Amino acid sequence: MIKADVIIIGGGATGCGIARDLALRGIPHCLIEKGDFAAGATGACHGLLHSGGRYVVTDPIAAKECYDENLILRRIGEKCVEQTGGLFVRLPGDSKRFRELFLRGCEEVGIPTDVISSTKALDLVPNLNPEIEEAIKVPDCSIDPFRLCMLNIRTSQLRDGIIFTRHKVTEIVKSHGRCIGIKATDQATGEVREIRGNIIVNATGAWANMIASLAGCEVPMTLSKGSLVITNHRLTNMVINRLRPPSDGDIVVPNEAVCLAGTTSLAVENPDKIGIESAEVDTIISEAGRMIPHFNNTRIIRAFSGVRPLLKSKKMDSHEISRGFQIIDHTNGMYSIVGGKLTTFRLMAEKMVDTIMASFKLKKACETAEIPLDGQEELSGYPLSKRLADMNDIVCECELVSKKEVQRIINQTGTRNVGDITHRTRLGMGPCQGGFCTFRALGIMNDMSVISPEQSMEMLRGFLQRRFRGIRYALWGDQLREEQLVEYIYLGILAMEKPQ
Amino acid sequence: MSVTEYDVIIIGAGVAGLTAGAFLAGRGFKVALVTSGEPTACLSTGCIDVCSRDHNPLIGIKELPLAHPFHLVPEKMIRESLDNFQTAMMDMGIPYTGAPEENRLVLSALGTFKTSCLVPSTMEAAPQNTKDSIHIISFAGLKDFYPSYIISRRKNTKFSIYDAGVSSTMGIASHFEEKEFLESFIVWLKGQNIDEDKIAFPAVLGLESAAEIVKTIANRVGKPVFEIPTIPPSMPGRRLFNALKDYFRKKSGDIYWAWPVVGIEKAGRLIEAVVTQSEGRPNSLNARAFILATGSFVGGGLTATREAIIENVFNLPVHVPGPRDTWFENDYFSFNHGIGRAGIIVDSSLRPAGTPMENIFVCGGILADTEILKNGCGHGLALATAHAAAQSCMEYIR
Repeated sequence: MIKADVIIIGGGATGCGIARDLALRGIPHCLIEKGDFAAGATGACHGLLHSGGRYVVTDPIAAKECYDENLILRRIGEKCVEQTGGLFVRLPGDSKRFRELFLRGCEEVGIPTDVISSTKALDLVPNLNPEIEEAIKVPDCSIDPFRLCMLNIRTSQLRDGIIFTRHKVTEIVKSHGRCIGIKATDQATGEVREIRGNIIVNATGAWANMIASLAGCEVPMTLSKGSLVITNHRLTNMVINRLRPPSDGDIVVPNEAVCLAGTTSLAVENPDKIGIESAEVDTIISEAGRMIPHFNNTRIIRAFSGVRPLLKSKKMDSHEISRGFQIIDHTNGMYSIVGGKLTTFRLMAEKMVDTIMASFKLKKACETAEIPLDGQEELSGYPLSKRLADMNDIVCECELVSKKEVQRIINQTGTRNVGDITHRTRLGMGPCQGGFCTFRALGIMNDMSVISPEQSMEMLRGFLQRRFRGIRYALWGDQLREEQLVEYIYLGILAMEKPQ
Repeated sequence: MSVTEYDVIIIGAGVAGLTAGAFLAGRGFKVALVTSGEPTACLSTGCIDVCSRDHNPLIGIKELPLAHPFHLVPEKMIRESLDNFQTAMMDMGIPYTGAPEENRLVLSALGTFKTSCLVPSTMEAAPQNTKDSIHIISFAGLKDFYPSYIISRRKNTKFSIYDAGVSSTMGIASHFEEKEFLESFIVWLKGQNIDEDKIAFPAVLGLESAAEIVKTIANRVGKPVFEIPTIPPSMPGRRLFNALKDYFRKKSGDIYWAWPVVGIEKAGRLIEAVVTQSEGRPNSLNARAFILATGSFVGGGLTATREAIIENVFNLPVHVPGPRDTWFENDYFSFNHGIGRAGIIVDSSLRPAGTPMENIFVCGGILADTEILKNGCGHGLALATAHAAAQSCMEYIR
């Protein structure tokens, strides 16, 4: 049996941030995640490091938190943050009153702004709609949520934190009414592990109520689904927001070679059962297309959705629900931390660990805002020049990932899951969405005897089925054409049968 | 703008276009074929799938839904198209094995069986059951072939890896065309002392002379040898395309390579010319009749937008299965995606429905209601409808 002072359930930004904070304060801890890191809302968002501008009018407290954290993350995590800057653009017909409220709000919160003409804005972002009236410059940034989680976890790993991914918590062990541990099942082998701890932190986002109910507790939440689309190109080098009250399809964020645009906001019941509707995709494209006209004829490579774990509210439109967070003490040794945003994950972790320290009657202060994230230097270890040198050995042509790189990740992480390779190398994240390279990556894993031939077949089937969930909503134009080719390859040339 | 006059112009250089072209050119008509580039046939396994719904493809065809374009071609003509194909390919040095009444199995690179009808002779020795033990020869660095996938389904399989000095499909295939390479390879292969019943290779055994190379290896090693089709680039697909192309040229057909059609000229109910984008200037190619064989989405015959599906040359009416939500089912493996039915609906003489134009004939993958994957009817349907369209076209211009 494994023992730790604190057990964290959930490997999103919040859970990973808590692990890092605990590590820096010297508290033994164990983190359990049922999928891979950033598998929930963390990985299914824009990857926007908010300046806070988006919330100054509707939620000034959240806006202030966002701006403070924006400054901190740019400092401690410069390798996973791209300091793109952002624009709020006002289109003909957009309320001037909102513009005034926005500027006043930014001033009150302390967010620096710069009002620029449409000509100046078009100089900065040539793809912008030339009809915009004006733009307001804010310090928005683009952030890689997956790297962010990995870097936070790195600190924990360096300080003996125990991490289990692909382990699903199936039971909260209680004794005399107190939570004293958990049981988790290894999703690959079915093996059950028991872990004992003094405090359990439920940082499972949209799944918080499900986990809380295992301990007989309740977490009141409103689940709000947000859908996004990914383009095949980087249409803007700055984050583009619409200068109007938060609404559908009003943010476009550049990330690596692509752009993400969204979102929508629809109430859902079950975070495991979320689909996307063509109407949502059309809304995002046409709204994003108002800001960047080229969006209408750009290839969309995938659509996806995530579930925001918002605090329970009577407000009907979830765009208006507070993005603030809350720590719930279930008074039985378990805490749930819900709400918040990717941008404020570090602050959430700090408050959570402050609470834990108080309950342990320990004094060490939080240092996560001062110490740069560990392991960032390695992020620049695979530059384009290196990838091109490995060209003969390229497994993923879209993202230029070589066989060596795939083998390195397999050796380093011992992973048996092709999704883990994707997250760590961008394998399969280009236009064909893994249509060609996953067959190869699984073949390589097989050759390395990390998986059995039977497993490789099963994984290939599972992969194709999961992949289709994302691209099914982006199938027209060239994406449909390429998808038909991929379908001919797998179902025709390779004669894959229907899974049992 | 320069003007050239033909009897028939074929748009598309796939199996359907080249077959229709050879049919007409072989009967003395002046035929030109325009193409934007290599057809999807180059990506295919090279196998002629006719219909996988029954062990006998000709019976399978009868069971296809009424709207399926196979029903527009009389059985006699289907047989004729397959016979002609086999004769032509024998003539071009890439013989095909099989008969219209019987499907064969081809071992896939995943170890599954693909059902086909006429297969390249290099795949003739593929096992028709799960019992035969096989020994796979793979090549160092070959990215798209992993024997382990096959081993997961066939326990009595072993494999060896040969270092050909190059790792691409095309590179290895061109090495096999060299006598010295082949010789030293055979020496190595003999040294492997293979016990299994059959020897399998990914389909890299030569560019054009694969049939001879397979025969040579089999004779020298004393065991049946066969190729396993790979994902693109596919040598058997490329061999098929090259043979069809050479056959069409042999029949005196002209090919305008890399000349995409960018416009048409019409007068009343007639298409008079297609305007192609040749080097430096638009070029108008006139003809009395036109055969559209541009394929489906992958081939570039159809383009889907968010709102509609468009036929790219003549802007013909396209049969669309329904609104975008219905184009695909949620289950990837359903084989029932609505998009498989999209295409051009034609009448009994393979003329497109819903247009007044009388000198257009349509064949191959662009036809509506084919559901090629579900029905296992790719190149076979192309051959049969190419014959039917060419026959109607011939009757029309006479």
